[in-house]
Amino acid sequence: MSIRPLFAALAVLALAGCAADPAPNEQMRLTEQTLAQAKAVGATAEDVPEMKLAEDKFARAQRNMQEESFKHARMRAEQAELDARLAEARVLTLKSQEQLNLVQTRITRLRKQLGDAQ
Amino acid sequence: MIRLTRVLGGVLLIACTGLYGCAGQRSEAALEQASEDFQKVKEDSNVLRIAPKDVIRAGESLARADRLSSYWGSGSDVVHYAYLSQRYSEIAREHTNQALNQEQAAKLELERQRLQLALREAKLLSVQQQGKWLEEQIINLATTQTDRGLVMTLGDVLFDTGEAELKSSANRTVLKVVQFLQLNPKRVVRIEGYTDNTGDKQSNLKLSRDRAQAVADILVDLGVEEKRVQVEGYGDEYPVEANASERGRAQNRRVEIVFSDEKGQLGAAR
Repeated sequence: MSIRPLFAALAVLALAGCAADPAPNEQMRLTEQTLAQAKAVGATAEDVPEMKLAEDKFARAQRNMQEESFKHARMRAEQAELDARLAEARVLTLKSQEQLNLVQTRITRLRKQLGDAQ
Repeated sequence: MIRLTRVLGGVLLIACTGLYGCAGQRSEAALEQASEDFQKVKEDSNVLRIAPKDVIRAGESLARADRLSSYWGSGSDVVHYAYLSQRYSEIAREHTNQALNQEQAAKLELERQRLQLALREAKLLSVQQQGKWLEEQIINLATTQTDRGLVMTLGDVLFDTGEAELKSSANRTVLKVVQFLQLNPKRVVRIEGYTDNTGDKQSNLKLSRDRAQAVADILVDLGVEEKRVQVEGYGDEYPVEANASERGRAQNRRVEIVFSDEKGQLGAAR
């Protein structure tokens, strides 16, 4: 018997193996948590585009979970997690920038007053 | 039988190549973009110092995408991991910017405290140089216990006509308020601006608010925490005298500092 049918069978098996991903429950939980955390620091879908992406992808991942399309669910949840992390980081950067501006304004005001006082 | 498997194998092969061809270009571009972004963060010493973990994750995802790109039919996986890598690079960049801002703010905060101290000394000095304390009547400094609580009035003479900037003759009063607030750390104040009824309502409202804000700014500059100072402008409302005479109007042009009780309870705003 030729060895080729064996290869073909293996290839089919491998493909089938790919399709049967396990349910990414842990990833779904993690993504949900990350979304909540980003929301907690004030990232909203209206203000931060990455947050909108994250929420949309997570919603699609949840649909994929129901359809048992686990590979899609995992990929979308993974992307949504990082989108949310980026959204959170952007908001925090913005806040730190505002804080910096505030100190700068105060310094300018102090310098001006010191200039007046002398 | 063998022929059938061969045919099947051939069909499979063609299908795979087709898939690869479609996704190939897209995944190639994604991979290229991701590795470009990764290079940039990897070469930035600040990013490496502040967000090394994110850089490592960006590198790992990129390596994965790169490895997958040598397999057939894995185009969407390549795009996926390239996307994750790019995100990690961006996150690393954001974390870095945030930390750099915080580092700079901490430095500036020290500078601010230094200036604040210098300003306090300068104000004290100028008070001393004035030789004698200004007459209470002249600066119209008065503290009265009203139903709104303890109220201190800064009179019109402390501002130039139509201007919101506090004159240096207000130094003593202002320092007194600051000292008082430092001795009474729980007390908070509301600074209320008022004008007479000449001019239009809108600009009176703005002037009253600006004057109150100017007083608040100085208090903050001299070390009173911002959250202890509220600001209100009432325009020409709540006159203390009739606006009929020049004297009455001058009395109505004022800034009032309303103090809370010892526990920080402030009477309601008007």
